[in-house]
Amino acid sequence: MAPKSASSIKSTSAVQTLFDAYTSQTSSRLKFIDAFLVFLILSGVLQFSYCVLVTNFPFNAFLGGFSSTVGQFVLTASLRSQVNPENKGVYKEVSRERAFADFVFGSIVLHFFVYNFLG
Amino acid sequence: MKAVLLLLLAATAQAAKLAVESAKYSVVSAKGEPTTKSLSPSERSSSEIVRIGQDDILKLSFQVVDTTTKQGVQPAQAFLRFYDEQSGEEGIQPIRVASSGKAKFDLNMAKPPATLPPTSTAPLKVTLLLGSASYHPEKLELFDLYIPASHPAPVHPDEADFHVLPELKHTFNAPPNLPPRAVSALFAGLVLVVPWATLLGLWLAVGPQVPRLFSPNILPFTASLGAFEYLLYRYWVDLKLGDVITYGSVLGVITVFTGRHALASIADKRLGTQK
Repeated sequence: MAPKSASSIKSTSAVQTLFDAYTSQTSSRLKFIDAFLVFLILSGVLQFSYCVLVTNFPFNAFLGGFSSTVGQFVLTASLRSQVNPENKGVYKEVSRERAFADFVFGSIVLHFFVYNFLG
Repeated sequence: MKAVLLLLLAATAQAAKLAVESAKYSVVSAKGEPTTKSLSPSERSSSEIVRIGQDDILKLSFQVVDTTTKQGVQPAQAFLRFYDEQSGEEGIQPIRVASSGKAKFDLNMAKPPATLPPTSTAPLKVTLLLGSASYHPEKLELFDLYIPASHPAPVHPDEADFHVLPELKHTFNAPPNLPPRAVSALFAGLVLVVPWATLLGLWLAVGPQVPRLFSPNILPFTASLGAFEYLLYRYWVDLKLGDVITYGSVLGVITVFTGRHALASIADKRLGTQK
C-alpha cells in the first residue's frame, strides 16, 4: 500500500488524537454542556445563512434570533469554563453553584430581551 | 333756552320718539331723467328695491322730527347701515343732520365712499339708525340696494386657520418583497429541526446522569425556572409589559429563595458536608 504523504497523515491523526483525547478525558457533564454549545452554533449558522442567502426581511426577527444564539453561547461557554475542574485555580472565589446561578440569571434576562425584540 | 327745553323734555318724556318725515330718494343717471320716489321708513323690513349702476348717483333726503311736537330734531347720531345678508359684510355711513332735522346724502357710484362694504350680486339692506340722549333710538329699514359687484374683500392672512385644512396624503413604503414560500418553509424547517436533532442525538450519546433532579430540594428551583419560560410564552400570547414585569419580579423573588436552597443542597452534597 503506497504510503500517504506525511503531512496528511499528521493532520488526520492530529484531529483523530484530539477527538480521542476529548472523548476519553472530558467528563460527561462537560460533554453535556458542549452538546448544547454545538446546538447553539448550528442554530446561529443556519439563521445567518438564511439572512445572507435569502432575505433579511423581518430584520428584527433575524437580529433577535441570531443574538439569542450568540448570547446564550457566551453564557454557556463562561459557565463551562467556570465549572471545569481543571480551571479551579483561575476561579477561586466563584463556586460552581454561583456560576450556575449567574448562568441562569443571565439566560432569563437574555430570553426576556430577545422576546421583546422579536416583537 | 333750548338747553332748558331739552332738559325738560328729557326729564318728562323719557320714551319720546323720533320720526322721519318726507323721506325720498332719487336715482340720477347719465342717461334719462332722474327718478324720484318717496319712502316710508319703518321698523318692518321694506319691500322697496333700488338698483343703481356704475355711473349713477343715489340722492337720499329726509327730515327728523319729534312725533309729539312735530319739530325738527338734530339727533346726536344718524347712520346709514349697508348690510349684505349673504356674506355678512356691513358698512356704516354717518349722515350729517342739520339742526333743523333735515338731512341729505349722496351716493355717487363713480366715487364710492370707503364705508361701502364689498358686494356681490346680493342686495344691500339699507337701514337708518338714529340715536339721541333724550329720545328712544330708532332703526328704520329704508330699501334694498343693488349696486355693481365689487372686488371681494381681501383675505386675512390667518383665514386658513379658521377653516378645515386640506387632507394630508401620506405616502408609505412599498411592501417588502418576500421570498417564495417553499424556500422560507425549507429554511424554517432546517433551523427548527437540524439543531434540535443534533442536540438530542449528542445528549443521548453522552448520557449524563441527573440523579437528584426530582428531589424536593431541587424541584422547586427547576419549577420556578420553567415558570419563567411559561411567563415568557404568556407574554408572547397575551400579557402586556407591565404585567410581565410585575409577575417577573414576584417570580424572581421566589426563584432566588428556591435557587439558594437548591444550589446550597447541591454544594453540600458535592463538598460532603451534607447535614
